[in-house]
Amino acid sequence: MTKTLIHVGFATLRMTTPLVLAALGGVFSQQVGLLNIALEGMMLMGAFAAVVVAAAVGSSVVGVGAAALVGLLTALIFAFFVIHLRADLIVAGLAVNILALGLTAYLLQVLFNTRGAYAPKDLEGLGSLTIPLLDQVPLLGPMLSGHKWLVYVTWLLVFLSWLVLYRTPLGIHIRAVGEHREAAETAGLPVKRIQYLALLTSGFLSGLAGAQLSLGNLTLFSENMSNGRGFMALAAVFFGQARPLPTALACLLFGVFEAVQIRLQMTVQIPNQLPQMLPYLIIVVVLTVLSLRERRLSAR
Amino acid sequence: MPYLEMRGITKIFPGVVANDRVTLTVEQGEIHALVGENGAGKTTLMRILYGMYRPDAGEIFLRGRRVEIPNPQAAIALGIGMVHQHFQLVPSLTVAENVELGRESRRFFLVDREQAIARVGALARRFGLAVDPTARVADLSVGVQQRVEILKLLYREADLLILDEPTAVLTPQETQELFQVLRRLRDEGRTLLFITHKLGEVLALSDRVTVLRRGRVTGVLETDRTNEEELARLMVGREVKVARRLQAASIGEPALRVEGLVVRDERGLTAVNNLSFTVHRGEIVGIAGVEGNGQRELLEALAGIRPLVQGRIWLDGREIHHLPVRMRREAGLGLIPEDRTQEGLNLLASIEENLAAVHYYRPPLSQRGLLHPAAISGFARKLISLFDIRVTSPTAPAAVLSGGNQQRVVVARELAADPSLLIAAHPTRGLDVGATQAVRRELLRLRDRGLGVLLISADLDEILALADRILVLFRGQVVGEVPAEQATQEMLGLMMAGHRPETLQADQEAR
Amino acid sequence: MNQVTFRWRSPLFNIVQALITLAVALLMGALVIQVSGKDALGAYRTLFTTALGSRLSIADSLLASTPLIFTGLATAIAFRAGVFNVGVEGSLYLGAFAAAWVGFTWTALPGFLLIPLAFLAAGMVGGVWGLLPGYLKAYLRVDEIVTTIMLNYVAILFTSYLVNYPFLAPGLANSMSPKIVPAAQLPRLMKPSQLNLAFPIALLCVLALWFLMRRTTLGYELRMAGDNPIFARWAGMPVARTILQVMFISGFLGGLAGAGQVLGVNYRFVDGFSPGYGFDGITVALLGRNTPLGSLLAALLFGALRSGGSTMELFTDVPRDLIRVLEATIIFFVSAQFTFEFLRRRRALQDLSAS
Repeated sequence: MTKTLIHVGFATLRMTTPLVLAALGGVFSQQVGLLNIALEGMMLMGAFAAVVVAAAVGSSVVGVGAAALVGLLTALIFAFFVIHLRADLIVAGLAVNILALGLTAYLLQVLFNTRGAYAPKDLEGLGSLTIPLLDQVPLLGPMLSGHKWLVYVTWLLVFLSWLVLYRTPLGIHIRAVGEHREAAETAGLPVKRIQYLALLTSGFLSGLAGAQLSLGNLTLFSENMSNGRGFMALAAVFFGQARPLPTALACLLFGVFEAVQIRLQMTVQIPNQLPQMLPYLIIVVVLTVLSLRERRLSAR
Repeated sequence: MPYLEMRGITKIFPGVVANDRVTLTVEQGEIHALVGENGAGKTTLMRILYGMYRPDAGEIFLRGRRVEIPNPQAAIALGIGMVHQHFQLVPSLTVAENVELGRESRRFFLVDREQAIARVGALARRFGLAVDPTARVADLSVGVQQRVEILKLLYREADLLILDEPTAVLTPQETQELFQVLRRLRDEGRTLLFITHKLGEVLALSDRVTVLRRGRVTGVLETDRTNEEELARLMVGREVKVARRLQAASIGEPALRVEGLVVRDERGLTAVNNLSFTVHRGEIVGIAGVEGNGQRELLEALAGIRPLVQGRIWLDGREIHHLPVRMRREAGLGLIPEDRTQEGLNLLASIEENLAAVHYYRPPLSQRGLLHPAAISGFARKLISLFDIRVTSPTAPAAVLSGGNQQRVVVARELAADPSLLIAAHPTRGLDVGATQAVRRELLRLRDRGLGVLLISADLDEILALADRILVLFRGQVVGEVPAEQATQEMLGLMMAGHRPETLQADQEAR
Repeated sequence: MNQVTFRWRSPLFNIVQALITLAVALLMGALVIQVSGKDALGAYRTLFTTALGSRLSIADSLLASTPLIFTGLATAIAFRAGVFNVGVEGSLYLGAFAAAWVGFTWTALPGFLLIPLAFLAAGMVGGVWGLLPGYLKAYLRVDEIVTTIMLNYVAILFTSYLVNYPFLAPGLANSMSPKIVPAAQLPRLMKPSQLNLAFPIALLCVLALWFLMRRTTLGYELRMAGDNPIFARWAGMPVARTILQVMFISGFLGGLAGAGQVLGVNYRFVDGFSPGYGFDGITVALLGRNTPLGSLLAALLFGALRSGGSTMELFTDVPRDLIRVLEATIIFFVSAQFTFEFLRRRRALQDLSAS
């Protein structure tokens, strides 16, 4: 029993890392008032860049950097169309996702002559870290120690996000722009620049999410690898009301369900499609519960 | 040398000249009023001064030096500050955070919260503005929020303070308090410029006044050498037939009866608290009160848009509180919502479609789910001529209409339904004098024809001009009911601040 | 949140902007091709000649556009009503399975009964599937974007389960259902192309939707709700009911898309058969400005691109995923608001009424 618990716990932490990173990206753009549908596409681009660059250069760390950069550049395109050319937020976000799907598949074919997946031999994934004292702790130890370094960085980023948003002038400005744009304008804040910054940050974080997906978990890139995680991250942002820690915890909740379903697949004899539906259904339920709670607060 | 001189300012928007060679001169240390009716160009001029617009022609001089003001940051840097009509405060941030927004006290790269609170507190005390720096803006009353807005300007060391319609959201008493603050600021050496269309305030507060009409300056006067009539004439340029309420013809059956109404707002707080009243056919009942005392929630509950917690509503004797909006309308309810462009109209749809919005689902406009375009056109044409709506083409989107014409569309549509009770919420907001009088005349006409009218308005002049009976709303309750003959601005103002009429009576007798 | 509503502009402007957008997209695509070291001109030449070169290739283009017409209409009607239904793909899969099920189960019925029945089943299943997120949005104010996307995955996984387990065609390696009986197979229109009856049915749907939007009370209600739902509520319109109706229709059309593929091309339900027709529907709807006619034209365009794209990949070495990149570019430019006279005027008028 404990072994299963540890296993599920470890898997949850491992698998939710891309979710948490993408969700943090979503937090920043949500706080600045921009609903970011493009987390999915930016994650995918990051995942692709991570594998390609890591394989080309021979270093997974450089791959992670490339992923973040590519995520940032994708966000730049998105931000340009939305902020400067006033494109509709949702539509442009969908366009980014379609672009990511098409471009990654196209480059996959053009650069490597493959369809479907690219798994370079000798691709070294991210390094794992064992935390010296922690891993001796019963139950929690093996759950929390031994993850890839990016996992720990992720939770550091959760803290940093909170710090920036609630304790720095930039964070106050971001929240001001998101809550009452006109007030920010008349206070003389550079609204567009702040929005750009927030979107670029979300691109950066989503790119990192992609890196964890392709380098941290598997060391390969497959088409449409993100598979809806960007939208799950968005649901987590709604659930956590765009605050970093609650959002990250919401991701953990979703992650538990995903880990459980994978475990189910391995141990119980049911067609694997059925447990795979679980995380998606849970999100629908969660969003419904959220809305019900809001209604109960305001109505009768 | 004047402190501020705006010389020959011209600003043109497609189709409209908002400012036509306007020259405004403000002396150091004076309170200067800028008046004009809605659409005269006052806000445009101020927005140019604050850097939100660029003028097409003209120059601005501050203390004799020519300046360029390309954006609000530049204005702030030049010592110009503006308090807008709609407050520019971030609700979830504290007073200190709002005041310091953009120029926060720092410690390394973090915000220094203690220092912020200390600085803001000191500033507030210095100018006699009673505000708690640690309070969340969302929890503050409107009057206090306005003080925060003023604090923002003082924090940036503004020498020239612009106030845009500052008393629109205040009770008469709060207005007096504000005036005291403003006078104190002037005495401390600041220069104040305030925009208003309330002539009484101009005379009470300002040293000099500039009048704008249709984008042009029609007069620059010393306040103590002029009066309301002269200002009004300069503002409007002609005699306007003022809608005058004559004695009510005859009061009939109750059209609307409300009993024990309890309604909650978005945050779950009680906005309407055990409200009961009646509106008879043939009378106009005015609901007066400062915005934010439950009027919006009351309106939405009567319309059917917001659910009731408790209470009953009868329309012409029929219970309607469990009915959806459409069925209430079918029972005889007409609605002129507060926000013309968001709630009253679909700006993207054609004028025809807007006129048909209440009746499209019934013959003759449609039958069994199929629309009859010819019938809709005919219906629209009839209403357009009946209500004198100035349109070039009924199929054009409603967005091309002027504010006054848009309101005519709303009124036309509602009246075409032949309601027994019409609820009119702020019906003349944002309209120029001509359109305002036209709408008011129409409401009086309806009353004389035997309709019941419930008028919800924050404009005391409007209530006094139209209502037969006045109910004052404060914190969701009726604090008093006054027949029109007995109502005065002062009395209503006190009630709007929560004083009950019995205590007023006692005060009066004691004098 | 913004809705995908378009400002009114003259038809000429719309056409010109569409053409310019297309040109820019093609330019971008050419850039991408050249940068990756291939021959852009040759690729485009192949693309266009194979798309429209002969009667046969035109038929193939029309074939490729058929599912896009359905999904484009499905998306367009939802978007026009202010509902961001991204779940057409899910309705497509469920409808496809329903059609296949009718086709391989009710083998005794004659064609003229079986085919309508299959389409009807597909539409109903797709429509009911759309009601779920519709209900959540209409009555519980749950954001429909995330829910419809999530439900897509659920639908795809569910049909995958169905076709891999209970309804797996015996004796075959791939995951597919039994073949439908010949009576259920849609007649071909222009052999040897696979163009079939589904195409004219799609055209009929375009007409039906045009009629719905322009001439019915439901059409009026959904347009008003899409432009300004607050106003619609004040006027007494049954906005919640409208959302449900629209989501049903949208899902219905998505289901028809799936039926068209199953009954007209594959003759069975194949796991993962859709290369994203539902999502392409979004591109089609946007390019067509959420109108039935516009969606038809956009679907024909993309059908030609898709059809040409596959061939382009065969004869040049430019992967057909480039088409996706083109699509994304098109969406970007279509959605960018190039401030134009009408928009400026409106904003100016709003500014003025505030002075």
